[in-house]
Amino acid sequence: MSETRALVEIDSVSKRFTPSVSIGERIAAWLGSPIDTRTVHAVDAVSFDIRKGEVLGLVGESGCGKSTLGRVIAGIHPPSNGSAMIDGLAVMGSGSKPLKTTTRIQMVFQDPFASLDPRVRIGETISEGPLAHQLVSRADARAYVTRWLLAVGLPAEAAERFPHQFSGGQRQRVAIARALAMQPDVLVCDEPVASLDVSIQAQIINLFLKLRRELGLTMLFISHDLGVVRHISDRVAIMYLGRIVELGPTPAIFANPRHPYTRALLDSVPKLVTGSDELVTFKPIQGELPSPLSPPSGCHFHLRCPFAQARCSTEPPQLDGRHHAVSCHFPLSDGE
Amino acid sequence: MSSQLLEVAGLTTRFETRSGALNAVEDVSFSVAEGEIVGLVGESGSGKSVTGFSILGLIDPPGRIVSGSVKLNGRELVGLSHADLRSMRGREIAMVFQDPSATLNPVLTIGTQMRLAIAAHESLSEAAATARCIDVLTIVGIPDAGRRIEAYPHQFSGGMRQRVAIAIALLNRPKLIICDEPTTALDVSIQAQILTEMKSLAARLGTAMIWISHDLATVSSVASRLLVMYAGRLIETGPIAAVLRQPHHPYTKGLLNSLPGVAEPGQDLVQIPGSMPSLVNLPEGCSFRPRCTHAQEDCTLLPAFATDGDRAFRCHHPLNLPVSASEARP
Repeated sequence: MSETRALVEIDSVSKRFTPSVSIGERIAAWLGSPIDTRTVHAVDAVSFDIRKGEVLGLVGESGCGKSTLGRVIAGIHPPSNGSAMIDGLAVMGSGSKPLKTTTRIQMVFQDPFASLDPRVRIGETISEGPLAHQLVSRADARAYVTRWLLAVGLPAEAAERFPHQFSGGQRQRVAIARALAMQPDVLVCDEPVASLDVSIQAQIINLFLKLRRELGLTMLFISHDLGVVRHISDRVAIMYLGRIVELGPTPAIFANPRHPYTRALLDSVPKLVTGSDELVTFKPIQGELPSPLSPPSGCHFHLRCPFAQARCSTEPPQLDGRHHAVSCHFPLSDGE
Repeated sequence: MSSQLLEVAGLTTRFETRSGALNAVEDVSFSVAEGEIVGLVGESGSGKSVTGFSILGLIDPPGRIVSGSVKLNGRELVGLSHADLRSMRGREIAMVFQDPSATLNPVLTIGTQMRLAIAAHESLSEAAATARCIDVLTIVGIPDAGRRIEAYPHQFSGGMRQRVAIAIALLNRPKLIICDEPTTALDVSIQAQILTEMKSLAARLGTAMIWISHDLATVSSVASRLLVMYAGRLIETGPIAAVLRQPHHPYTKGLLNSLPGVAEPGQDLVQIPGSMPSLVNLPEGCSFRPRCTHAQEDCTLLPAFATDGDRAFRCHHPLNLPVSASEARP
């Protein structure tokens, strides 16, 4: 795996959101009124690679910036700093206009009720992109749609129906077919199974596994569900308040978490208890996620970290390590 | 076993819809002992939330409870007047909902809302009411409750808001709290805090709980008994560890197998084929039949809810039964 080259290269990508200031507010500011120009640091200097054919899981709690990072990679948001490249080409130019490369990355969203146009037939939803980008001629569009519907386990007749005629799991299949019909090199999936029931979730996970085997898909799989990520990913990146705190092969991350946050997160996941004498105790992380409007100095996790020392509050740690990287001044040792 | 606090028998709740009448809950019977935490698990549309609402008498037209009984401490709740139901809700049975931002009133301070909840059942002086509010807020782990009581819901984070909702449920010291997916909207680290808190609360105050969830792992970490619902019917009940170790109903087994973590990473999960049938058009006999790999001809007849010791199931061909027991069955 290590000799395969990187298909996606994320180089110190930052994304900040600053509220736009209206003329009225500018006048008020000029007259001496304070204006709210606080900036949200959603993504803070993140770097990593995704190799060809690899599934990288991106895990974090709400507000950690994982979806924003996914959207920067998919070319929906331009990065404030740094660059996202696919095959050596920038996903987005310096302006906000997406380049042609963005069609090589497609996205699957969490809510299949919101991501499909309710008034457009499924067939048209799937063929719109490929027709616009001349991936298929109008004459062949029908057969092309059928091919992708069958690939995601839907009948060919589905093309004639509307989104409301499908269940949540089936809609997610449509959303996946739409993304795949663009023949992307990379699929960015933002919580694609989070809104589905357990039995349907298993069906969609199996679909991803099958598509990966058949099409050699490269995926960024964003999720808050550690069980799902563990099942589907080759490597996992753990994100906390805009930064990657740990990145490594899936088995290593789950067996030997080296960042205190990763370990606490793993400890928080409820496990199926099947012994009647098993005592369930959590070691919950103290406190809550600080606001990304004013992230703590130094290591973002130091306020909640049981191992924090003076250095942690002043000096931000760097993500360090080739194989299993961790961003911590005092990482937990292996096998602890 | 301690005495039964809540007894639900043959509960059927029907909704008249444009596409026909459907039984969201059909012939559901179970009981909850004092201080017991019972997990109620099912997928969307299984009827788990409607069961909770039915117990509280919160079913509005076009829905109604068509048959069955709900007894709290021996007193029948089905058929009570609106006034009697109002005085029961919150005082004897309280409910915690999934979305705390939708349960709290955004324009009132949490102190005002909490004092209103007390005033609905008791006349206390303002000072005594405030003292009790601060008391329960402290119990659910809100730091600096004396000051935070004057804050508005938007000034709390999602996890803290859910703690406030739980505090409100605790205000009138109910015997039973129905928790409808109380941690589903929360992050795992916050969920772990709330689960720990709720477990110790139940133990300390002796409050019984019905914990409604779609997440077997979460339920298994709080509850001692499990109820599994499918398409409106209860299909399996029993001590939670035993049910999860050796499920009798193929659906329970299917749910367990579809959890990631059961299969080796990267291998296909054992999925249940198909999806839940429409409640308007249920298959004849066992509703799980079309998706069941163990289905046989007799499954077109609705199986009875069979009891086997402390366990019960609704299946003609149960799994994992001791040999003697399965032979003894006709």
